[in-house]
Amino acid sequence: MTNDTDLEAEIQRLLTEHDRIAEQGITVQRRDHLVVLGGEVESAQRRDEICRQISSHFPELEITCDIGITRAQAPSEVEEIS
Amino acid sequence: MIRIAAVGDVHVDKDVVGRYRPALEELPDRADALLIAGDLTRHGTVDEAKCFAQEFGGLGVPVVVVLGNHDHQSDQQDEVTKTIEDAGITVLEGAATVLEIRGHRLGVAGTKGFGGGFAGACASNFGEREMKDFVGTAERYAADLERALKSVECDALVALTHYAPVPETLVGEPLEIYAFLGCYQLGRSIDAAGAALALHGHAHHGSERGRTPGGVPVRNVAHPVIKQAYNVYQLLSEEVDTTLIGAR
Repeated sequence: MTNDTDLEAEIQRLLTEHDRIAEQGITVQRRDHLVVLGGEVESAQRRDEICRQISSHFPELEITCDIGITRAQAPSEVEEIS
Repeated sequence: MIRIAAVGDVHVDKDVVGRYRPALEELPDRADALLIAGDLTRHGTVDEAKCFAQEFGGLGVPVVVVLGNHDHQSDQQDEVTKTIEDAGITVLEGAATVLEIRGHRLGVAGTKGFGGGFAGACASNFGEREMKDFVGTAERYAADLERALKSVECDALVALTHYAPVPETLVGEPLEIYAFLGCYQLGRSIDAAGAALALHGHAHHGSERGRTPGGVPVRNVAHPVIKQAYNVYQLLSEEVDTTLIGAR
């Protein structure tokens, strides 16, 4: 069983090193009785896989997923560099 | 006037194919070239590189990229590079290219770069062999970038990296991981050569704007930072025009 101090690190490593995830940009924040996941990924499948893998590896954890899908619309403005 | 589109950290795999394409189809009306600041794939496999090439190839404007750390994950970076180049996309690693645009010469020099940290909190070339290898790797990438930047003659020069050359564009990331997100040596190389703009990715929770100690504008174009398919930057302006309609 992972202790509380190491839990965030264990989750971060799982998200980075798991061959079906490979996400380094997910934040993990402890609340009183749950873990809140944040950040953005490129697809809903990736978000769902993150939650699935954390639930599988840490079944005792209650997870809230605030992970968003990064928007991919065309820009409407240009920035002049000077 | 030259307009360049830029994004990084697109992490393409099968599940992403088609997401960027509607915005990319509009790109030739908005910019003259597309630069991509690394992490083109999720795990650096050839199959993912084919997905990237399918999504970002054949745009009608030149596409220039560097690899990121994700593109090295499967130790297939050479095959990934070849797959992407076969799609007509230029891959830079310690190298430069010159694009002829609207009568101007746009130079782009690129490298993946590496970590190591910044002033006051950087790794030193001292102690264990592993630490010296780590710092030596960062210094090698920075030296390659400087050599590439200095190798081109052009009207506007852009430095393209995956790792950050300054800490300002990392603001928002935990301080503890700055040393894994970039190194000051990249910024020093950019200042030594001089550039109109430096683009990087890698820092998903970072900030968009910064400058090198020598004053070169730096932009973090990681996709989660810019929150759109690509940003557009205008160089060599004759007049200020911030609308994108009628860019060509």
